[in-house]
Amino acid sequence: MTALPTRKAEAWRYADLKAVEALWPPQPARLISVRAGEAQEEIVRVREGGLHDLRVELAAGATLRLVILVQSSGYARVAVEAHLNEGAHLDLGGILLGDGEATQEIVTEIRHSAPGATSRQRVRLVVDDRSTGTYLGRIAVARDAQKSDAEQSARALVLKRTATANLKPELEIYADDVKCAHGCTVGELDKAARFYLQSRGLPRALADALLTRAFVADALTGLEDSSTREALEAETAEWLEQRA
Amino acid sequence: MTSETETLRNPQASAAIDELSTYKWGFATDIEQDFAPKGLNEDTVRFISAKKNEPEWMLEWRLKAYRIWLTLPTPEWAKLKIPPIDYQDAYYFAAPKAKPTLASLDELDPEIRRTYEKLGIPIEEQKVLAGVEGARRVAVDAVFDSVSVATTFREELKRAGVIFLSISEAMREYPDLVRKHLGSVVPVRDNYFACLNAAVFSDGTFVYVPKGVRCPMELSTYFRINAENTGQFERTLIIAEEGAYVSYLEGCTAPMRDENQLHAAVVELIAETDAEIKYSTVQNWYPGDKDGKGGIYNFVTKRALCRGARSKVSWTQVETGSAITWKYPSCVLAGEDSVGEFYSVAVTNNYQQADTGTKMIHLGKGTTSTIISKGISAGRSDNSYRGLVRIGPSAEGARNFTQCDSLLIGDKSGAHTIPYIEVKNPSAIIEHEATTSKISEDQKFYAMSRGLNSEDAVALIVNGFCKEVLQQLPMEFAVEAQKLLGISLEGSVG
Amino acid sequence: MLVIENLHANVGDKPILKGLSLIVNAGEVHAIMGPNGAGKSTLAHVLAGREGYTVTQGTATFDGKDLLDLEPHERAAAGLFLGFQYPVEIPGVSNLLFLRTALNAQRRLRGEPEISGADFMKKVRTESAVLGLDMEMLKRGVNVGFSGGEKKRNEAFQLGMLEPKLALLDETDSGLDIDALRIVSEGINRFRSPERAVLLITHYQRLLDHVRPDYVHVLADGRIVETGGPDLALRLEAQGYEGIAA
Repeated sequence: MTALPTRKAEAWRYADLKAVEALWPPQPARLISVRAGEAQEEIVRVREGGLHDLRVELAAGATLRLVILVQSSGYARVAVEAHLNEGAHLDLGGILLGDGEATQEIVTEIRHSAPGATSRQRVRLVVDDRSTGTYLGRIAVARDAQKSDAEQSARALVLKRTATANLKPELEIYADDVKCAHGCTVGELDKAARFYLQSRGLPRALADALLTRAFVADALTGLEDSSTREALEAETAEWLEQRA
Repeated sequence: MTSETETLRNPQASAAIDELSTYKWGFATDIEQDFAPKGLNEDTVRFISAKKNEPEWMLEWRLKAYRIWLTLPTPEWAKLKIPPIDYQDAYYFAAPKAKPTLASLDELDPEIRRTYEKLGIPIEEQKVLAGVEGARRVAVDAVFDSVSVATTFREELKRAGVIFLSISEAMREYPDLVRKHLGSVVPVRDNYFACLNAAVFSDGTFVYVPKGVRCPMELSTYFRINAENTGQFERTLIIAEEGAYVSYLEGCTAPMRDENQLHAAVVELIAETDAEIKYSTVQNWYPGDKDGKGGIYNFVTKRALCRGARSKVSWTQVETGSAITWKYPSCVLAGEDSVGEFYSVAVTNNYQQADTGTKMIHLGKGTTSTIISKGISAGRSDNSYRGLVRIGPSAEGARNFTQCDSLLIGDKSGAHTIPYIEVKNPSAIIEHEATTSKISEDQKFYAMSRGLNSEDAVALIVNGFCKEVLQQLPMEFAVEAQKLLGISLEGSVG
Repeated sequence: MLVIENLHANVGDKPILKGLSLIVNAGEVHAIMGPNGAGKSTLAHVLAGREGYTVTQGTATFDGKDLLDLEPHERAAAGLFLGFQYPVEIPGVSNLLFLRTALNAQRRLRGEPEISGADFMKKVRTESAVLGLDMEMLKRGVNVGFSGGEKKRNEAFQLGMLEPKLALLDETDSGLDIDALRIVSEGINRFRSPERAVLLITHYQRLLDHVRPDYVHVLADGRIVETGGPDLALRLEAQGYEGIAA
């Protein structure tokens, strides 16, 4: 891909094309490859703008737990292209926190190329001020990739009328014996949960902060190492507290 | 069965239908036709306009559209493989040679009458759709290739204040109404196919329901492509004034022909305050043969403007035909608390391709939309749901619920779900769910162990899968649609 | 402690409470019984300050303060506890984090120092043991994956942890089997003291076999139509609401 993308390209329809032009051409993709039967955990933190391409290769029976945390001031795009071989498992958690004028994107393409691979994606977007947060997530199941199991959950919280959230969870399925589902929601914090917290003595702002923190932390449930998880939770909590 | 439906089922016609086992609507009618010269240029546009005795403003409108069309690119974003279309190798106008105006329905060409009889379409008043006892009366506008050949129940509707005419007649009889609304929901330059339609549309249906009137019967248009090498470009315009209600149905078929034929329609709906429009489609254009030869290219733009507060538009579609379907019936929800609904079943088999869905554009406060889509892919077909839900910054408290389910039959087909969710308001609540599955062997075995053969078992399960959508259809259509689902999937089960 | 006078309240546009009066003093246990739709849960929600419930007339004071003027969390800090009929699940917020945050928020509002981590955990261990909730459950999200009975035990656990002055328990017995009912009742009985009061809202008499009330009130069509001792509950059980409320 060397030509500058245009608005017509589906994968760039919500991008900040001016910013993209300045960043073009992108650096070669970073390769994360996990060998057959092995397991690995990767954290990708994006604090500075830019085009961050990741290429994930999972050999047969390999497992990768990948967490992407995007919170930058300029235009940032994290694009993951993952190939899953037989029986491989990808657990992908994405957190996107947007404020100011930032346009940020998490773009995933999970290719189930062989039978029996599983993938689980949970992406949480919080957009404030005049920011734009986008999640484009495509799951592609190849003709012979029977018994694929792909699960995708995307949720967004829009904090202001000037902010924008875009979600495009996409399924491209060519095998019939598969379990593929996606669900996404955009909305306010749960009113019943808020009242429950308030009735136990939490002021509204604190109740909202706690609920937002839980909303985001959902994306980290795939991590096995609790200290990493707590560190990431603390990082997002700090950002959320600045909002309150 | 009543004696009335007996007359519709004349033995010869029934025999002709039975001969055609898979696509039962594939016969051609041999009648004398008027054609426009082959090809597309400004003269074609002038020819169509002259043939239809149109006012000058209408010709200007068409010519402007044609000139814009020349500059537009073809849309390429859909998940479709569309072979290049030679727009010069088609006829843009084909009309049965007949008297320009019919004094009564009795003067209709007997061959055309027989065609509709074979299709089971009641173009005689007091007749109901064949095979359904106790059905309500349905007023029909029959569009044969490029022109409307008959509109029934006109007088009775007129007494209720409802205008139900072919759009060509409406242009002459109600020029102000047509001029005011034509192109107001789907502008001329909206997209490539809508623009082409604006230049060359030949006929279609016009419905106007005045303030406070509940249309006393179902309205329906039956589209038939008959002539070879002919494109059909119809245009439908429905206006429901304050507090009005109308339910409208459309059905379509075409003969089996080896070459592909183009159908590029535009439908515009306008719902004012407290008005409701229910628009149902059973699309059964010729899908091509089992090797993917022939079939209709169905490139349709349908859009509703819910302009008034609490207005409501409900699209229901059952798409079983066409070689390629490109169609996104949409709602612009401008009025406060207005409601948009989209219920869709799309079946593809053999080499059919469908890329269909909806757009719900929420602009007003408290607007709600519901999307239920059921896609069934069999054979070597590809079936995509593509839908946009957009919540504008002013759409305080807007809500959307979307459910997209795909069913795969066999391992050679594809099922795709491509939703776009764009939200600019913090108080909006959007829920979207999608699943992909196949018919479970357990379900199939269960049905077969109770005596159903393999195909009937699949048809039964598919009907269950589509139930939420089928029950949105008026009863007469629901029965037809169920049968159609079974027929469309014939040969898909090994 | 709690004084309600001529309370009228709407849910949306619909009047539900139509002139309810009630006085609850420290040390007392009151039970409010009544048929479905009488306004029992509405009373609980109005007192706790839920959105969508509008008081149109009347007053409610708590220790002399105007209860209706307070935000929900201020009512909690003042010492009012609502035990929910349907406790809410909050994924991602652990029970322990939730309770500690709530406890400290209340203390701050009352001008008290925050509880230390050690003291908090000590209290958690004592209270959870009584109710048979293990530490693993408390580390999970609030009520997430809890059975109906576990949710009610969790409510009783929170009651023990937060130590309010008045416990307003909305259908706490619904969905409980006989063992769970006994455990939850023990929790409520432990809570009873001369400084505290309990207002039980219930449809059935069976909870009152375990938690003996000082007063029983019958609520019908938004008003208290009869007040009596524990025997009134038994009469209700025998004769049904129709016989009493008519």
